[in-house]
Amino acid sequence: MIRARLLALVLGLCAAAQALGEVYQTPEAFVAEVFGTVPAPRVLWLSREVQAGAAAILDHPPANLRQRYWSDGAKSVWILEEIGKEELITAGFVISQGRIDHVRVLAYRESRGQEVRDPSFLKQFAGASLANRDRLDRGIDGISGATLSVHAMERMARLALYFERRSRE
Amino acid sequence: MKKTALVLALSCAWGVATNTRAQSTDEKLRILQQEIDELKAQVKSAPQGSAGQQAGGGAGLQGSATTISGYGEFNYNNYKSDTRPTQADLRRFVFGIHHRFDDRLTFHSEVEFEHAVVSKDDEGEAELEQAWVNYKFSDAVNVKGGLFLIPLGILNETHEPPTYYGVERNEVETRIIPTTWRELGVGMHGLLGGSGLRYDVGVTTGFDTGKLDDPSTGVRSAHQEGQLANAHDLSVYGALNYRSRGLLVGGGVFTGNTGQNGASNPALKGVSARLALWDVHAQYKVGGLELQAVYAAGTLGDAEQLNAALGAPGAPVPKSMKGAYVQAAYHLYKRDKLDFAPFVRLEGIDIRQQEDPANGLFQDPNNHERITTAGFNFWVHPQVVLKADVQRYRTDSTKDRFDLGVGYMF
Repeated sequence: MIRARLLALVLGLCAAAQALGEVYQTPEAFVAEVFGTVPAPRVLWLSREVQAGAAAILDHPPANLRQRYWSDGAKSVWILEEIGKEELITAGFVISQGRIDHVRVLAYRESRGQEVRDPSFLKQFAGASLANRDRLDRGIDGISGATLSVHAMERMARLALYFERRSRE
Repeated sequence: MKKTALVLALSCAWGVATNTRAQSTDEKLRILQQEIDELKAQVKSAPQGSAGQQAGGGAGLQGSATTISGYGEFNYNNYKSDTRPTQADLRRFVFGIHHRFDDRLTFHSEVEFEHAVVSKDDEGEAELEQAWVNYKFSDAVNVKGGLFLIPLGILNETHEPPTYYGVERNEVETRIIPTTWRELGVGMHGLLGGSGLRYDVGVTTGFDTGKLDDPSTGVRSAHQEGQLANAHDLSVYGALNYRSRGLLVGGGVFTGNTGQNGASNPALKGVSARLALWDVHAQYKVGGLELQAVYAAGTLGDAEQLNAALGAPGAPVPKSMKGAYVQAAYHLYKRDKLDFAPFVRLEGIDIRQQEDPANGLFQDPNNHERITTAGFNFWVHPQVVLKADVQRYRTDSTKDRFDLGVGYMF
């Protein structure tokens, strides 16, 4: 009887846990949260020059020729993906007047390193802009055991700011 | 006359050809522009897709089911004493293959080669450092099985050279916590309540003290590494770690019997020889300053019976062990990808052996050691580091040395 209850409890916990999943927020929901009324998506075409700039930030060439984004004129939203250690991290970046307004991790697929979702970590990006050579204008404190995921978040933050700047040119 | 006619004919032909080429180029440009306009229109009218589809149109890498990772280091050790040879060594070359079967089921592995050449006449080793399958119910509940790293200390799970200071790994997490320490078993891990608090629990193979042959490294020589591991006695582990921006505080415990019912030494049949290892650790980064500390300790039961069974002259078994270090580093120069940080580390090791003077078994004085390490890490890229340091050993001064190293990870 006790075993059956224990089994039911474990199965219940697993089912509840499974419902949480690893996608914390869909891009649609994130964009809707930022704008209220979702504007039509726009596209930044990655010319050779833009691709070269993106490659310098990512340390590898961008995989695509266009980047979708959303903008209402005052702020823009960029949904980017980059590999941490083994898996893609999906993050949403809200940019206003050349500075990051806020960042959110929308999906994290690895079994470790989810601490990059920590608000105190993500808060460091708020207000960041690009300085010389498209580096962030500030240092980002890392998280022990999530080094490569932290690096990926930094690269995506720089890329979002870079794309936003190029979209205004 | 004939010449004039010929020139006129050639001129007409040239004019026609040029005109045709111009028309052809204009036509091609018109078609290309039309195709670009159509593509742009399609993009604008495309429905909003899933997370992957959204970002798939971005600049990130497309996801692949199988990925490769790696790390390695090559080191140079120049000893002050002539009793030890100055050496350069390709210390380790590690590559990992990881595979995603579906959204929740993944495989992780690391294969390690040590000392460049592996053959029966060389020092090199080829070994599986990790090979485990993980099922992710959620961030809070992961279940794993296979050969995986035990979550004690800081270094054992995060041991890629660009992530730690010093050319050589610290002594506490080498002689007390036997990094890189892995066991075969099953475990659960995850983040509690979406916070930065991570738990790890599990049941694994344990040590086999019948194989203990080097008490100077605590119980390190008795760990089985998943190689036909004697599994009569299993072990359990548990760890809690809190991580936040720049902060890590945690601890872990591992315990189990190690006699293995005499599987590798019949004299240990019925001897439990219980081993308990535990640690607490902390890391704090603020501004350019990095502070880190680890305290690790352990006990091994039935030491007298182990001494009698193993009977190694001059090498009594360890009955208790402890060690600690404190480390401070400061990022003096950080620009673009370059990052220069000097550091200093103070370590203490105390491995107490079960003496048996009647049989010539005495404590090895080198198991009570104090080590000072000072040097720098110079990252030329966040994932590639050059290192240099000097190390001073208070007890066994033949280990005093100057080290150089290069490490990488990807």
